[in-house]
Amino acid sequence: MFRRTSFMVAAAGVAALIVTMSLPGGVASAATATFAPVADTYVDNSTTGTNYGTSGQLGVDNSPVKRMFLRFTVAGVSGPVSSVRLRVHTDDVSGSESDSGGVFKRMSSTTWSETGTTWNNQPSIDGATLATLGSVARNGWYEVDVTSYVTGNGTYSIGVTSASSNGADYDSRESGAGTAPQLVVTTGGGASPSPSPSASPPPGGDPVLVGAGDIANSGSGDSTTAALLDSIPGTVFTLGDNVYDNGTASEFNTHYNPTWGRHKARTRPVPGNHDYNTSGATGYYGYFGASAGDPAKGYYSYNLGSNWHVIVLNSNCSAVGGCGTGSAQVTWLRADLAAGTRPCTVAMWHHPRYTSGANHSPDSSVAPFVQALYDANADLILTGHNHQYERFAPINPANQLDNARGLRHFVVGSGGASHYGFGTILANSEARNSDTYGVLKLTLHANAYTWQFVPQAGRTYADSGTTNCH
Amino acid sequence: MTSLQGRLIITIVAAVVLIGVALGYAVLAPGAGAPVSAALAGEGPRLQVLTNGLLSTVARADPDGPREVTAVRCDRAHAAAATVACLTPVGALTATSLVVMDRALRAGTTIPLTGFPNRLRVSASGRMVAWTLFIDGHSYAASGFSTQTGVLDTRTGRIVRSLEDFAITRDGRPYRNADVNFWGVTFGADDNRFYATLSTGGRRHLVEGDFAAGTVRTLRDNVECPSLSPDGTRIAYKSAVGGDPASGWRLSVLHLATGRVVPLAETRSVDDQPLWLDDLTVAYALQTGDGTNNTWSVPAAGGGQPVLLVPGANSPA
Repeated sequence: MFRRTSFMVAAAGVAALIVTMSLPGGVASAATATFAPVADTYVDNSTTGTNYGTSGQLGVDNSPVKRMFLRFTVAGVSGPVSSVRLRVHTDDVSGSESDSGGVFKRMSSTTWSETGTTWNNQPSIDGATLATLGSVARNGWYEVDVTSYVTGNGTYSIGVTSASSNGADYDSRESGAGTAPQLVVTTGGGASPSPSPSASPPPGGDPVLVGAGDIANSGSGDSTTAALLDSIPGTVFTLGDNVYDNGTASEFNTHYNPTWGRHKARTRPVPGNHDYNTSGATGYYGYFGASAGDPAKGYYSYNLGSNWHVIVLNSNCSAVGGCGTGSAQVTWLRADLAAGTRPCTVAMWHHPRYTSGANHSPDSSVAPFVQALYDANADLILTGHNHQYERFAPINPANQLDNARGLRHFVVGSGGASHYGFGTILANSEARNSDTYGVLKLTLHANAYTWQFVPQAGRTYADSGTTNCH
Repeated sequence: MTSLQGRLIITIVAAVVLIGVALGYAVLAPGAGAPVSAALAGEGPRLQVLTNGLLSTVARADPDGPREVTAVRCDRAHAAAATVACLTPVGALTATSLVVMDRALRAGTTIPLTGFPNRLRVSASGRMVAWTLFIDGHSYAASGFSTQTGVLDTRTGRIVRSLEDFAITRDGRPYRNADVNFWGVTFGADDNRFYATLSTGGRRHLVEGDFAAGTVRTLRDNVECPSLSPDGTRIAYKSAVGGDPASGWRLSVLHLATGRVVPLAETRSVDDQPLWLDDLTVAYALQTGDGTNNTWSVPAAGGGQPVLLVPGANSPA
């Protein structure tokens, strides 16, 4: 029950036990990368409200029922993955041994909280079985082949249960690097190249959308993100609050034009609340001209490449007759979606439907946008308003995980205005950053999109991935 | 602990747990579905925190040990004496609200509010509850954001929805301005005198207020989110670096009698209303770039160094 530290120094003296150490042949050119968990914890049905996320131990048992949860983020791996092994180490304490090391399963939830998960609120262990470990002894290493699950960069959750009333105890990541769980990813080697999953055809022909929101003020953040655009071709989007504080023509000329204005000719903008601090957002519409659509509406759509439809909406609802289900804007949106024949759709506006930001709450006034897009099988939503970066899993309009039809929501308020912090992290929030300016680059494949957060020069925060259209 | 004391505490805990189980479900905040009794498990003093929005407690003697996590959701929480206060999250169909609970987390007064939870404090006696919300729509706010700060007197039921209704004396003269914003209230031991931040005209003042009289007066500049020490002699606060909030904040302690300011050993920017764990120690939350909150503590006298108190938690009380 208490945080253990003794085994951090005790492990060396006892011979470690390694099982299933079978690598595919021809490993001469194999490269391995080892990842520690980004989160691990266990739950116990005899203490249903207790969290053990800071404990040095992880338990699986059937009496009392204990389940353990592991989460890894694989990043920086290139080339086909040939083998992935999960390694866990049993605790060097009497009773850690068991006739059953547990049943290891995939989980769809990758956003459970290490310090908040309890028996009462535990995530579902809802995926297929990866492996079952037989008996385990005290103070030894054990391996599970998870190659079928961990196919490349990304975040993976693994849940472990046991049918034995003789529980097994493992060391958690808090136990220290010598005994913490490991995910060992091997790439290359002699193994035949795995059928690279939807290996994006990387020819230069795919259109690129790149941009951010909450951009230009008298600071330097706007300059640093504009510099990123200088080397990224494609269509530039904004996500509102193009200038601070009041959306005046003067601010556009003084703050925006020398920075992001360098790319004005390839920019399709979004209006934000600060743009509307000038009545009718006349500074915004005056600056961008026809690229911003009808100044009485501010919503418009266009096509990119042969497969993508891009929709810009105006979430400054009071300025355009509302955002309700019967509003002119939503009526237009539904008609625009119905008329579309392209397989992939991205929509963008300023106020986020879902955000974990501390300064602006999730905005239900744009829920009719989200519902219409979901109904039409659109693919992703880009917003700003909170000055930070956040990415959600594919979700339905109620923010429930929906890998079949869900839309990924992004908040890309990282365009240059001073950062905001985060509040309570919402469910299904998969990636966040509040200290790096940057732009989101979307590469629009024929039937998928690849997102990449491109950080300001000198910073390292990264987030990228690929999702198929639906 | 003697066995008699032990038994007595166990009996009391058991009784409270039973009450919690019996009444818990009906009184939980929206969305809650599990008994709250776990919050009271264990012996010895406990520290209340929020674990990503879930009301939780840890043992003061083992703050990074096992954590009791309830199903009560708060964006901000604070507790003192017999009062637990919670600002509930904004939901799809619901705005935030202040929920005042007892230590068994049975809800009493609930006040619907408009805005986004930011600060929350209960006076040491448990009587006064003060909150700050971010609100949208005050485009005249020169600072780029607007706040609304209110106070509930749980004994009389008096509610002040906005301190902007109080009479302001600024630099010795009566003052009014549409751009006034208040945030971060802390009450004195008499449950009448309070301190808060007043922002107007590009300046952020420490004000001292008289709740009964409905007045505040400015004391000094560049003091935000004040927190009065248990002995009433000092204020811990966040001090904008170089007077510019865009440069971050240095956790500092102001000695009220002398005006002496002591910067604390925490040099990372702290955007929180500090909490006094006792007369010698200040706690506060720091956030990592991915939004994970950690609660730290640091000596109130300056010197020493910050210590990680509760990983993955904020809103200590």
